Amino acid sequence: MESPGPMITRRRVLQAGAAAAIASAAACRQAAVPGPRGTAPVTILRAASYQADLLDLMRRGAAACNLQARGKRVLLKPNLVEFQPGAVIHTQAEILAAVVALFESLGAREVIIGEGPGHRRDTMFLAEEAGYRANIPHFEKRFVDLNRDDVARVERFADTDGIYLSRTALAADLIVSVARMKTHHWAGATLSMKNLFGVVPGAIYGWPKNHLHQVGIGRAVAELYRIFPRSFAIVDGIVGMEGNGPVQGRARACGALVMGSDLAAVDATCCRIMGIDPAQIEYLQLVSGMGHVNTGQIEQRGESIAGLRTPFELPPQFEHLRLG
Amino acid sequence: MVTCVDPCLAWLHGVQNADGGWGYFPGKQSRLEPTTYALLALAKDESRSEAFQRGWRLVESWQLANGSWRGSSIVNEPHWATSLVISLRCVLGIFDERFARAVEWLVALKGSESRPFARMAHWLRPSLIEFDPALTGWPWQPGTSAWVEPTAHAVMALRQALKHSRDPHMAKAIAARISIGQRMLLERRCRDGGWNYGNRRLLGFDLPSYPETTALALLALFGHVSVDWEEAIRHAEQLLQMTRSPLARAWLEAGLLQHGVARPAARGEPSGDILVASIGSIAWNRLVL
Repeated sequence: MESPGPMITRRRVLQAGAAAAIASAAACRQAAVPGPRGTAPVTILRAASYQADLLDLMRRGAAACNLQARGKRVLLKPNLVEFQPGAVIHTQAEILAAVVALFESLGAREVIIGEGPGHRRDTMFLAEEAGYRANIPHFEKRFVDLNRDDVARVERFADTDGIYLSRTALAADLIVSVARMKTHHWAGATLSMKNLFGVVPGAIYGWPKNHLHQVGIGRAVAELYRIFPRSFAIVDGIVGMEGNGPVQGRARACGALVMGSDLAAVDATCCRIMGIDPAQIEYLQLVSGMGHVNTGQIEQRGESIAGLRTPFELPPQFEHLRLG
Repeated sequence: MVTCVDPCLAWLHGVQNADGGWGYFPGKQSRLEPTTYALLALAKDESRSEAFQRGWRLVESWQLANGSWRGSSIVNEPHWATSLVISLRCVLGIFDERFARAVEWLVALKGSESRPFARMAHWLRPSLIEFDPALTGWPWQPGTSAWVEPTAHAVMALRQALKHSRDPHMAKAIAARISIGQRMLLERRCRDGGWNYGNRRLLGFDLPSYPETTALALLALFGHVSVDWEEAIRHAEQLLQMTRSPLARAWLEAGLLQHGVARPAARGEPSGDILVASIGSIAWNRLVL
């Protein structure tokens, strides 16, 4: 039965004290983490439009990142949180089609596409409207509605006992987050890491997946990053979204594709391209002990950040994120 | 031997899992929502069939001690589709102790935004998400905020339950929750006349509605005096013409049938989606919730 709401009792005060002590200890542990080993390669590619030879560009990016996919069961996770005609909310169909072709050319055993949108129930309808069926061979056979997928429980998720996640995602040898470069009115920016919200099943957590907001968006993103270490990121910044993202913002041409095997490194790089200080993004702060976020930890390949720097307009409440 | 006029019902028989339940898609894990929808679709003519009884036994095994239903054999948490199980029991006329406990659980369940701390936070920054936290709806999960779809299902279930409530105190509580739940839905209506998941205005921007949630809200508000039904039905008919989402179309048809302004669409071959097939059959059989 639902709790009647917070009431101040001695027990609650003691519980709060204990929670604060645990949080403090956790913070100390985090501070003691030396950070990730070595450096992570991130490739930045210049693409003026979706008419560019995207597959060729991605092949070059994959080689630069030493991406290995032979024999793997690969799950491609586009961003399809919503669809509105003419809006730049979702991962562009041309990008997703090129990623399918890339992983087939790399010898992947199976290339699956899966998404669990956050607002709309009819995932296949959204995929159809976004042009995925028309642009991607055998789309229906490849596609899994992650909101209504079979589930398995993963123990421990932030402060909760655990979380149910898509079995397709958990069983994949490699999850490829194929995100769009966007600002986000709650998180500052939504890139490859935030895109992992789509593996959380709406059939259990609802539309929207409010449980993740209750956990805290930053913490939930960081936990999903921890749970899915076998991942790769391809962020579509050819045309991104600025302002009131992730749904109601405006198109912002940036001309960049960003790829890499550490989602944190890719997102930190995207932030720098967008003129956002990655050190100010909560979920990147939270994974700094696991992921490569600082400039010195990232081996930048391809184009330079400065060459493609495109300051995105930020939601007013996130103006403090802007790089100096 | 099962003989079904509706091809979707025959299809549902064919895709029932060995444990008696249905997944969201054929061959997938049995889950509470698709199993309950499939049973609702089969309830009119086939409640005595072996297929129905196997499904029913599985659903019965999923009730939790607090009166709610768990999401599946794997998902051991109270699930919002408890509302659908209450509706199913109303269709079947089963008003036992299990029913009473489920209704009691649902009546007590509230969105977290109605808690004092959340209300204070909203009072401090009302323009973040514009809504009235005093109008208490239902969440997808206990401990989270209220949204349109679980509220619509809860209102529909409790409206049926109220007709069969023999306890005057509980009947009063049910009526109060229905009333406030409907007011919550009215308050969350988008400027374009429909409903989305539950935010009509966010950070100063109006948000658009969706056809599927609009259909559900109209079903939950059926007969409400505050709704201009002529305009609402016209809007639903327009949405039905425009949307290509099979799920949205199934809900819109169900809603329009309830208002007697549409004839059941010809039942074609099932799309492979258990919910779409079931909701379409529920509408076909005029078992609108």
